[in-house]
Amino acid sequence: MDTNRSPPSEDEVAKWETQLRKGGLGLAVLATLWNGRLYGLEILRRLDSEAGLSVPEGTIYPLLNRLKTEGLVASEWVEAAAGHPRKYYSLTDVGRARVRDMAASWTSFAAGLERLLAPLKGDAR
Amino acid sequence: MTRDAAMAHLETYLAQVRRNLKGLSEAEVREVLLELRAHVLDKVEGNLTPNTVETALTALGSPRDVARANVTERVAAVMETQRGFFGVFAAVVRLAGLSIGGFILFMISLVGYGMAAGFLFVAVWKPFDPQHVGMWMSPGSYTLGTLDHPHSPEMLGWWIIPLGLLASLLFGYLTFALDRFCIRAMVRSSRRGRGA
Repeated sequence: MDTNRSPPSEDEVAKWETQLRKGGLGLAVLATLWNGRLYGLEILRRLDSEAGLSVPEGTIYPLLNRLKTEGLVASEWVEAAAGHPRKYYSLTDVGRARVRDMAASWTSFAAGLERLLAPLKGDAR
Repeated sequence: MTRDAAMAHLETYLAQVRRNLKGLSEAEVREVLLELRAHVLDKVEGNLTPNTVETALTALGSPRDVARANVTERVAAVMETQRGFFGVFAAVVRLAGLSIGGFILFMISLVGYGMAAGFLFVAVWKPFDPQHVGMWMSPGSYTLGTLDHPHSPEMLGWWIIPLGLLASLLFGYLTFALDRFCIRAMVRSSRRGRGA
């Protein structure tokens, strides 16, 4: 049995982190809409500033469209003072219930992992 | 003048996206383009120059990638909500114009569903025209379907009804399953490609 495996490279950790972020992206997007409607660029900025989630800009609209088809968000075009219409997204009742459930699962999962990782604190580089 | 050049640059980009939005309805295409235009105009925050527009467009991605992401996500969404034959076939049609793989899948689906329809027709039509519907063997080939003037005895008789129905079900189901599998693989591959 090979017991002399090298530790994971930074690349592997980066890949794992990317997968982790992807997994949480749907929840994060829904969570940005919890307090009210936002348009695409506002969602991207909130994801970046509040969660450190840098999302490729071209991917946010297809994702929002998917959430809309699933009935989790609704959208409406609004004439803006900026001089062009903006498409605002908001949570539907189903979306609001879903994000609450997802948040509860996430919090429980994160708390469990936090307990498991507690011994590593102070030892992590 | 600078504003005009910036808007022209934006419109050129949107025209390229439009060309790659094959398989979407005109209303969906309009919606995608309007939203992209609004995104870029928001991004430049009133400072509309060719350079700021270029920076915003670079952040969005190439027109082909942006279009592909929109089409594949719409396909994925339709697949989630309409899991039956029509939803899956609509997804195949949408993907046909997007890539060579999509086009090949579309052609395979046509052959598969065509075979299913052919076997169904033979099974259903046999009781109405028993002399001319069936399976015949001539030197070097088989004929399944209808023949006006058969030159050899029909091989299957009434067995062609259950066998035709079974073959129709089999071809239909296998084509449907293959379509679903390939579409999911294409959507996964597209998401991986753009880091979503």
